[in-house]
Amino acid sequence: MAEARNGKRVGRNEVLLLALGFGALAVVGGSSVWIAQRNASFNRQIADTLEFRSDVRRILDIAQDAETGQRGYLLTRRESYLSPYEAATPMRDARASSLRARAATESQRENAEQLIKALDTKLAELARTVELSRAGRWDEALEVVRSDSGREAMVTLRTLTDKMVGVETQRFQENFAYSEWLGRLQLVVVTIGLLLAAALALVAQILVRRQARTIREAHAELADANAGLEQAVADRTAELVSANEEIQRFAYIVSHDLRAPLVNVMGFTSELDAARKTLKEQIDQVAEKAPELVSGDAKLAVDEDLPEAIGFIRTSTAKMDRLINAILRLSREGRRVITPEMVKVDEVVVAIARTLHQQTEATGARISAEPGLPPLVTDRMSFEQVFQNLIENAVKYLDRSRPGVITVRGRRVGPQVEYAIEDNGRGIDAKDHERVFELFRRAGAQDQPGEGLGLAFVRASVRRLGGTIRLDSEPGRGSTFIVTFPAVYRPQQTEAS
Amino acid sequence: MPNNQRPVVIVMIEDDGGHARLIEKNVRRAGVNNEIRHFVDGTSALAFLQSSEASAAGPLLILLDLNLPDMTGIDILGVIKKHERLKRAPVVVLTTTDDKVEIQRCYDLGCNVYITKPVDYDTFATAIRQLGLFISVMQVPDA
Repeated sequence: MAEARNGKRVGRNEVLLLALGFGALAVVGGSSVWIAQRNASFNRQIADTLEFRSDVRRILDIAQDAETGQRGYLLTRRESYLSPYEAATPMRDARASSLRARAATESQRENAEQLIKALDTKLAELARTVELSRAGRWDEALEVVRSDSGREAMVTLRTLTDKMVGVETQRFQENFAYSEWLGRLQLVVVTIGLLLAAALALVAQILVRRQARTIREAHAELADANAGLEQAVADRTAELVSANEEIQRFAYIVSHDLRAPLVNVMGFTSELDAARKTLKEQIDQVAEKAPELVSGDAKLAVDEDLPEAIGFIRTSTAKMDRLINAILRLSREGRRVITPEMVKVDEVVVAIARTLHQQTEATGARISAEPGLPPLVTDRMSFEQVFQNLIENAVKYLDRSRPGVITVRGRRVGPQVEYAIEDNGRGIDAKDHERVFELFRRAGAQDQPGEGLGLAFVRASVRRLGGTIRLDSEPGRGSTFIVTFPAVYRPQQTEAS
Repeated sequence: MPNNQRPVVIVMIEDDGGHARLIEKNVRRAGVNNEIRHFVDGTSALAFLQSSEASAAGPLLILLDLNLPDMTGIDILGVIKKHERLKRAPVVVLTTTDDKVEIQRCYDLGCNVYITKPVDYDTFATAIRQLGLFISVMQVPDA
């Protein structure tokens, strides 16, 4: 018991350990996924930062390209030098909206607006000078340039650009460092996960091996226990068989040894009777010739007392002989070798009914077998004797006040077959239900010849065939004897021959 | 009695005095007057049978009971049938046992006649008388 409980606890601990291991693996896997996601988002941020930085630079590029074109135009007064300006200015809207869209934080948005504003200021100044120049008012255009407003706007642009690029660069570096750190963390976590998985595999392996060993040991123990149990059963069966044999031998020897003195009692009773006859003849002769010599007592002794005594001795010894023969038959039946064969019960019943035809004819009784009686494999002779006894009993103890009906029914119950021999006879009182099966015991009105042997014999035979018998009866209603046999007789392995 | 043979000595091995007496009475009633030597146990019977007294006594016929106090009749039968001189002596087993196996064993060992003592006395008496008649006509080899 303690062993079993211990084993159970170990089992629970193992399950807990495994669950913990799998939990850790799940955590490692989960964090790994989380890290990967974080990493992806950082990478996206880095990309955004880089894009934003280039957007900032492009804003400055517009201003620079436009200014370059304006300067060339102002210097050369040739329209062709204006092309960088012409190319750059239309890009203002697209670049501004792109910058606005990429600005993720509040400060970025503020900076972007300032930058766009500075660009617009610059572009307005440039547009004005280009406009004046195209109208031929070159001096006025130069005057605008000289007013320094354009240069200031450019300075503002440059300063803002530098500042923003600086901020973004720093942010990029920070993000990049964090991303790198995350990457290293992921490596560490994955390594830990792999180590954990390896450890788990190892632990699982150990546990499985231990479990297998425990199971093997339990199997071995069980096999041992089974072997022990089988041995115990075999021993007990052998004991019972030998005890039974001893009883059989005892019954056999006793009945034989009782017979020997009985031979003497009967023999010498006959000798006594023979001697009495001789004496009687003598006395009769004497009485004829000299009646006065014969006393009345002597005559009485020879004529009545001696024959009476001899008669009682004879009936008693005859009865004793029958009883001894009964025991002998019982013990002989127990020693008989059982030869199982297929027995068709309906045929057996019909044959028995035929042997009892005279008795049933005389009393108007009817013996019938219900159709479909299941057959069985058993010792034919013992089985027939059992049925013969039971049916004969039923005929013998019918109620004379009504026509006898004796029915044999049967059914299969799992590996057993059950037969019921039912009559509407005089029945047996409940207190005698056990007694009728005992040797030399009878029940009810003693108006039929018998030694009280039949049912004892039946029960011994039924038991020998591995069956059981019980009785269901009510006085005045009838009796039903229910016998159950194994459908196929299996000899006990230790059955003595 | 034919020819000049010496009279047969009947050796009766029977522990029950009553049985012995009844057997003797009924054998005599059949007109058998041969000498009857009675032994109540196996040891004394075997001692006699193997002695020179027995070999001098002439031909023997042995009436044997199976249930003896000191040994079984089967043992005695075995000894007799292995004995150089005794083996030809007819052995009549006369016992209460009517077990088939026992009867078979006796014949296997060389018993000549096996008779079950009937409990019913009239039958018993008749059987023994017939045995007596049988003895009176049977030829027994000289020992």
